[in-house]
Amino acid sequence: MFQNRAEAFALVLPAAIFAAVVFLAPVLILLSEGFRSGDSWTIQAYIDFFSQSLNQTVFLRTLKLAALVTAASAVIGYAAAFAIVNLPPKGKGRITGLVVLPLMISPVARTYAWLVILGRTGFVNKALVTVGLSDEPIRFLFTETAVFIGLLQLFLPLMIISLISALENMPRDAVPAARVLGANWLQVFTKVILPLTKEGLVIGGTLVFTGSMTAYITPAILGGSKVLMLETLLYQRVTVANDFVSASVIALILIVMAFAANLLLKRLATARNKR
Amino acid sequence: MTNKLFSPIILLLVLAFLIGPFLIIIAASLSAGETLAFPPQGLSLRWVLKVFEVESFRASFGISMFLAIGGTLAALILGIPASYALSRYKVPGAETIRTIVSSPIIVPGIIVGLALLRYFVVPFNFGILFALFLAHTALILPYAVRVVSASLNNLRSDIEEAAVLLGSSRVGAFFRVVMPNIRGGILAAFILGFVTSFNQVPVSLFLSGPGVRTLPIDMLAYMEITYDPSVAALSALLAFMSLGIVFLAERFLGFSRYV
Repeated sequence: MFQNRAEAFALVLPAAIFAAVVFLAPVLILLSEGFRSGDSWTIQAYIDFFSQSLNQTVFLRTLKLAALVTAASAVIGYAAAFAIVNLPPKGKGRITGLVVLPLMISPVARTYAWLVILGRTGFVNKALVTVGLSDEPIRFLFTETAVFIGLLQLFLPLMIISLISALENMPRDAVPAARVLGANWLQVFTKVILPLTKEGLVIGGTLVFTGSMTAYITPAILGGSKVLMLETLLYQRVTVANDFVSASVIALILIVMAFAANLLLKRLATARNKR
Repeated sequence: MTNKLFSPIILLLVLAFLIGPFLIIIAASLSAGETLAFPPQGLSLRWVLKVFEVESFRASFGISMFLAIGGTLAALILGIPASYALSRYKVPGAETIRTIVSSPIIVPGIIVGLALLRYFVVPFNFGILFALFLAHTALILPYAVRVVSASLNNLRSDIEEAAVLLGSSRVGAFFRVVMPNIRGGILAAFILGFVTSFNQVPVSLFLSGPGVRTLPIDMLAYMEITYDPSVAALSALLAFMSLGIVFLAERFLGFSRYV
């Protein structure tokens, strides 16, 4: 450890000042706009925002979709991570690589694929009509289902990799021991696997939840103006109505959620380090 | 055990769900037809070739490249000294500084873009491109600090102390002893920053003006007006570009060790 304060500050200040000026200050000013009315401070903007039924719908829909995507990714994630952990080492590395691969691809490209699959003339509709299951194309796009599918595909890898590392840290003999002692698979999961991998589940869950909450591309492409979420609503309020007050309100909601999730993660990390 | 049959089926379904759409994009981009379709109507490279002819794609590709490379370099120039100070010096308020520098990762990008537009571009007449550059630099800074800090923490600090004792200046010790040892970490940070910036959408949403747009934003705009397979072709090309970069990085420096 070097003690020279002047040197330390000279090295660290450019980055800190840059982040404070370019990022922190503008964001804080934006957030403060939601509490201003003329010269006084008020929470009127928040009352107005939540009293409109469209905003309520969008807020609840965002929470609902984020929760559903998190739950679905947890269920699929456990099944997939369990299968991957039990593979021989070489296969494990390859399959994990394939799971992580989509994270490197542009979300625009990944979401765009669903247009080809779910669109009116898309793959699924063609198959349905050809097989005779449906007389005319079904509307999948611009529904909550489409947004749900898109978000799940986008964020599932994060859950799987969190659960893989949690399952790998679990004592090897825990599951066979429970089986030998007569536990069925449901009991093994709820009494052994779940408690031992709780941290991985929470880490994956927060990543998926905040990712889905703050997603823009997926609801924009697959939901359109029919299925607005908080970020697409923010964009619409600014571009259509020049409504910076609502934008500020939505921004604070998103930031509070993201910070809460991050705090939870940090607390878990320090709890683990102490042990 | 039921696992023997169950596991491969689960893995197959999950991989089909995660990778399948990407394969469909590639197939759709090879279509000879006029509109986006899967299975493709005949095979041809016409849409792949068309991507290179669309003027706006060429311009926005250049802008995205400039932002990804310039933004990452700027973030490293700010981030490497900061990481060095945070790991080797007793910095008063180190935790606060760390939080400030890494906060852009937590705040949703759309808010950063809007705030920059409203308080920098509009009142001070900043150019959109300059604002984009600032925004992307701020966004990459947390990644740069995190990855470089990790490699600095893995490097024993007594080798540079030895260099100083043997008469090297502090700056000389940094460039001759520390830098060569954290080269891999810096390169990893560069790649991570590049990919993050290049694929970034929300930050750039509000920061687009006449003739100045990043490539992903341009793609979003293009697919609102046309339904031809050129966006699919471009998506496939970009995906191959990202995968190629990550593959090379993994091959030559074990990228995944750093991130």
